[in-house]
Amino acid sequence: MEELILNLKKEIIDVLNLEDVKPEDIDNDAPLFGEGLGLDSIDALELIVLMEKNYGIKLQDAAKGKEIFKSLNTMADYIAKNRKK
Amino acid sequence: MNVKSWVKITPHDAIVAGKSVLASNDVAGQKLLVEVYRKYVNNYPKFFKMDTLCKLGFIASELLLNDIEGTERNSFDDRAVIMFNHSSSYNADCHFQQTIQDVDDFYPSPSVFVYTLPNIVTGEIAIRNKYFGETSFYVIDEPDARIMAQVICNTLVGSGMKSALCGWVECTCDDEFTAVVFLLDGDIDRASFEEEIKSLFTEQ
Amino acid sequence: MESSIAAIVAHNVVSPLGLTSADNYEAVKDGRTAVRVHGSFGALQGPLPLAVVDGSMLDDACAFIGLSRNDYTRFEKMLILSISQAVADSEIDLSSPRVIFIISTTKGNVELLDRNASNSIPRERVFLATAAKQVARYFNNPNNPLVVSNACTSGLCAQIAAMRCLQCGDYDYAVVAGCDVLSPFIISGFQSFKAVSSQLCRPFDMSRDGLNLGEAAATVVYSRHRSSRGGWVACRGAIRNDANHISGPSRTGEGCYRALSAVVDGVDSSGLAFVNVHGTATVYNDEMESIALQRAGLLQVPVTGLKGYFGHTLGAAGVLETIMSMLAVDDHIVPGTLGFASLGVSAYVQVSCENRITDKQAFVKMLSGFGGCNAAMLFKKGGDVA
Repeated sequence: MEELILNLKKEIIDVLNLEDVKPEDIDNDAPLFGEGLGLDSIDALELIVLMEKNYGIKLQDAAKGKEIFKSLNTMADYIAKNRKK
Repeated sequence: MNVKSWVKITPHDAIVAGKSVLASNDVAGQKLLVEVYRKYVNNYPKFFKMDTLCKLGFIASELLLNDIEGTERNSFDDRAVIMFNHSSSYNADCHFQQTIQDVDDFYPSPSVFVYTLPNIVTGEIAIRNKYFGETSFYVIDEPDARIMAQVICNTLVGSGMKSALCGWVECTCDDEFTAVVFLLDGDIDRASFEEEIKSLFTEQ
Repeated sequence: MESSIAAIVAHNVVSPLGLTSADNYEAVKDGRTAVRVHGSFGALQGPLPLAVVDGSMLDDACAFIGLSRNDYTRFEKMLILSISQAVADSEIDLSSPRVIFIISTTKGNVELLDRNASNSIPRERVFLATAAKQVARYFNNPNNPLVVSNACTSGLCAQIAAMRCLQCGDYDYAVVAGCDVLSPFIISGFQSFKAVSSQLCRPFDMSRDGLNLGEAAATVVYSRHRSSRGGWVACRGAIRNDANHISGPSRTGEGCYRALSAVVDGVDSSGLAFVNVHGTATVYNDEMESIALQRAGLLQVPVTGLKGYFGHTLGAAGVLETIMSMLAVDDHIVPGTLGFASLGVSAYVQVSCENRITDKQAFVKMLSGFGGCNAAMLFKKGGDVA
């Protein structure tokens, strides 16, 4: 799980172009959206692509993203349970 | 002079009203845009999410507005943002095509797709500065001063806009680009404005 | 001083529903849709509801006007066909330097970027200015065309650019032609935005869940001089930005409200037959438009949306929907909003799935798009220019 979380942080920083953010800056329990990382609706869509591309998880219903992307922990949990690669 | 100030950016230099703002000549292309951002802006992380055309237009508008209005700037209801180029969003188009070219590696990217519209650069400038006026993007064959002067003057006559941030923002790949951006305020004399645009493109 | 106006003197629509404005309007009036559910599109898998112009119908029509099949792309063919048909019965000389071509498109010939694209078209035609020039030169027009690329608002922005050119006396005629053709590029992009419905779209409806993409070409020819009393005139146009987000519509409908207000300021809204909305049937667009209409004080004016008939035709939409609105007013009808059943936006807009009767002689057309841009125009039949 530790490894998944660290990889996920690196992947998020990379695909969302979070230029000045380091993995250790992201709190595992803090909300991914809203304040903090300053993510927006396009970032949410890009996280859906990330899950499909890197973990083989197809999210048909974008609205489900709200729960999954609550925090890094919730996202990692969801990936651990549903990953196909 | 109709033009209040102007900015020119190439892969090798960033010039404000005739003067280079770079300390040295050892950066070029995309890195040059990032260097100018770090030195003169550095408070807008969204910059790093932009495609190169938007980075270019954004940096040019920041240097221009810093020169005229400083860093504490007003929002405007009646300022237009009017941009022109030849290649539309060609560079972003190529990047998006890469995400869908291969059937076995088919992951269309929303954050790339959104930049496959050239007017996004006018939107980025409007968002940054809270400009609620007209934003328009025109694709023309070349930086033709007559057409640009015509469109810009007609906009200022017909739209209720009092000032305009306008210019040419062209990007054919991540390290090949040109921006010539300027601010207009008040009544414009079309004939002399056309000559001014011509001279901005020839000036070094 | 001679009065300069922007009068509409000719028009045409090429869509899956027909090759003339009249045929397209008849289809709308009869409640027919161009959208069909496709099992696949290229490598894309369905179900994909799309409004696609039949290739052999297009080639036959092009052959009829003598346009060679291999020298032009689908995008260029549709534009040339639409412009040819628009001016066919008029005296307008398109080869005159007093005529400007203004092309409205978002992606033009973008399919030429596909490495697997098999055709003999030079790759440089992927550039919009080059493709537009190809179209203008077909008609021997000597001027370099202006291409307006303001996302989904392009079709209105191009007409506004035309009004300005004519009012400033730069030209006598402006040919405004809008077109986009469907490609895996465009479809997969909208899919990545989760903006596409898997069923026929439902503008302003409670159960709306996305848009349908469509392709079309549409042309309006503007003149500085009115051809006859009682014709259509573009009175006002406005373009405003939300200054909020590059893809998400403003929650307060800021730019849309501002554009609407600019075109209806001082106008008695009881004289409006309807507001023809953008009405893409995405959750956020339609909600935003309803708020903008409310803020602009237009809730008592009938609202109608045409995406259920044509899909979202991108760069063509503003031109196509303007033409359909004119013909509807000519016919004293507020077209029904196909796909709508029960109101699903927070402001109480006057939308209906049925055709309604009107005796009014003016309408407002509005559009919104990526980049935070919004546009609105006021059109009037007969009378004086506002």
